[in-house]
Amino acid sequence: MFVAGIDIGSTITKIVISNGMEVRAAMITPTGPEHRRLAFRVMDDALASCFLSFNEVEYIVATGYGRINVPFADQQVTEITCHMRGVHCLFPEVRTIIDIGGQDSKGIKIKDGKQVDFIMNDKCAAGTGRFFEVMTDVLGVKLEEIGPMSLKSEKPASISSLCTVFAEQEVYLRLSEGASVEDILAGLHKANASRIHSMIGKLRIEREVAMTGGGAKNIGLVKAMEDRIGFPIVVPPEPLITGALGAALIAREVAARLTPDQLREKKEKRRLEAVTFFDDPKPGKERLL
Amino acid sequence: MGYTAGLDIGSAYSKAVILEDGELVSYYVKPTGGKFALSADLVLEEALQKVGLSLAKLRYIGACGLGVTFISETFNKVTELSCHTRGVHYLMPTVRTVIEIGNQSARVMKTTPKGKVADSIISDKCATGSGRIMHIMAKVLRTDLEDFSRLSDKATKPAKFTTNCAVFLETEAISRVAEGTPKEDIIAGLNQTLAGKISAMVHRMKIEADCVMTGGVALNAGLVSIMEKELGHKIQVPDEPMITGAIGAALITAEKAEN
Repeated sequence: MFVAGIDIGSTITKIVISNGMEVRAAMITPTGPEHRRLAFRVMDDALASCFLSFNEVEYIVATGYGRINVPFADQQVTEITCHMRGVHCLFPEVRTIIDIGGQDSKGIKIKDGKQVDFIMNDKCAAGTGRFFEVMTDVLGVKLEEIGPMSLKSEKPASISSLCTVFAEQEVYLRLSEGASVEDILAGLHKANASRIHSMIGKLRIEREVAMTGGGAKNIGLVKAMEDRIGFPIVVPPEPLITGALGAALIAREVAARLTPDQLREKKEKRRLEAVTFFDDPKPGKERLL
Repeated sequence: MGYTAGLDIGSAYSKAVILEDGELVSYYVKPTGGKFALSADLVLEEALQKVGLSLAKLRYIGACGLGVTFISETFNKVTELSCHTRGVHYLMPTVRTVIEIGNQSARVMKTTPKGKVADSIISDKCATGSGRIMHIMAKVLRTDLEDFSRLSDKATKPAKFTTNCAVFLETEAISRVAEGTPKEDIIAGLNQTLAGKISAMVHRMKIEADCVMTGGVALNAGLVSIMEKELGHKIQVPDEPMITGAIGAALITAEKAEN
């Protein structure tokens, strides 16, 4: 039975199509300003990559900040639950999840496969992917380079500001003092690790700790977090898709409880909704499914 | 007492004042532009020139501000809080509550009847409580800071911002611009966000007697009037709200030297 999980984040959209416990397609693409249109497009791309048609997918769960904008989803589930499920499936021993997204950061505590507590920062850009995006502009480096570059530093520059705007000014000051880009990056990672740690610390960090989201792709941030908490952190092979994976797992469970008739009814409704949502002035062009 | 100079070298603006026997005779304000040493020299020179004085005529120089260490002349360093309360007391002796909003910080101070600091709260952790956010927004809106006072009152439907973070505010403002929200509505919305943040701080201190707002942000009349509504209290603004720190630095230094 084929099911799908789609996670529309503020910055990146992820999708997982699975058959039972086997992942058949996983795709990652930047979230555009038009979620609805995009949701269709990534769904279509993912289906094409595993040679499936839309109607072969029995159940679709949407999650993430843009989850209400997926007109063809059968159900919406919060990203906290989906991340938890995704990580628990990959690493059953994990008790604490640190998720660093494009515009927020979260801490999730798991016990016996259930979410027991969580904390979230979406009020302040510090400690989120956005902070690093701003800094890469200032330093003229690529986002994917900052982690490895920061690890070359022997003397991290002191960055005392938590505010992204003030830290930006501090970076200019350190540059004018002659600090190297590597040292500044190391200082920035250290400052953010301490910011994230003080937030997650409220949950009482328990081993094992997993890091997910775009932030987990930044080796510099992962190492700085490990230094801060004092033990190793596990990172999934593709840390961006844990939310979509969790959504697909939930979809599989829900679909298994439904009778073939109920599933068919769902599917019919799904198609209808998609059409009404896509009342495009130029029909046929964007209506892919 | 003769001539005393006061300097306040801030992260955004450098200010200099000249006092003759304790009376303000000249002042000069100029953007720092990241060059602390140069602008410190320059504002002092300009302030002296305005009253036809040379550096040699100065008996004392008092200074405060982030860039104080870059001043090339010999000077007496005074803490910023004392400078601000003292400078405000000089201009407006009845004031007991000072709200000072600079480029990188927001401070609320209570003063004694003699202009000394009685109590204070400082916030310098977040750009949204400071003048910095106005600079960021001015850039997004392609306008100057004067528009913030002028246009705020003209808003018919102030934009609602869902965040307090300067970085996210910038993004939201860009979206509003793209949606065609009028400039004055965006400005009024920002003034409301900023006023909310500063008022929350003032509430913790409780306003006593006359209240004054100083620092560059006090020039934003739109913000000041929203703050007055939020706090339910009249807020005075000096004609030149940016020079209170420099005045205080000069007064405190002269007094210390004479005694």
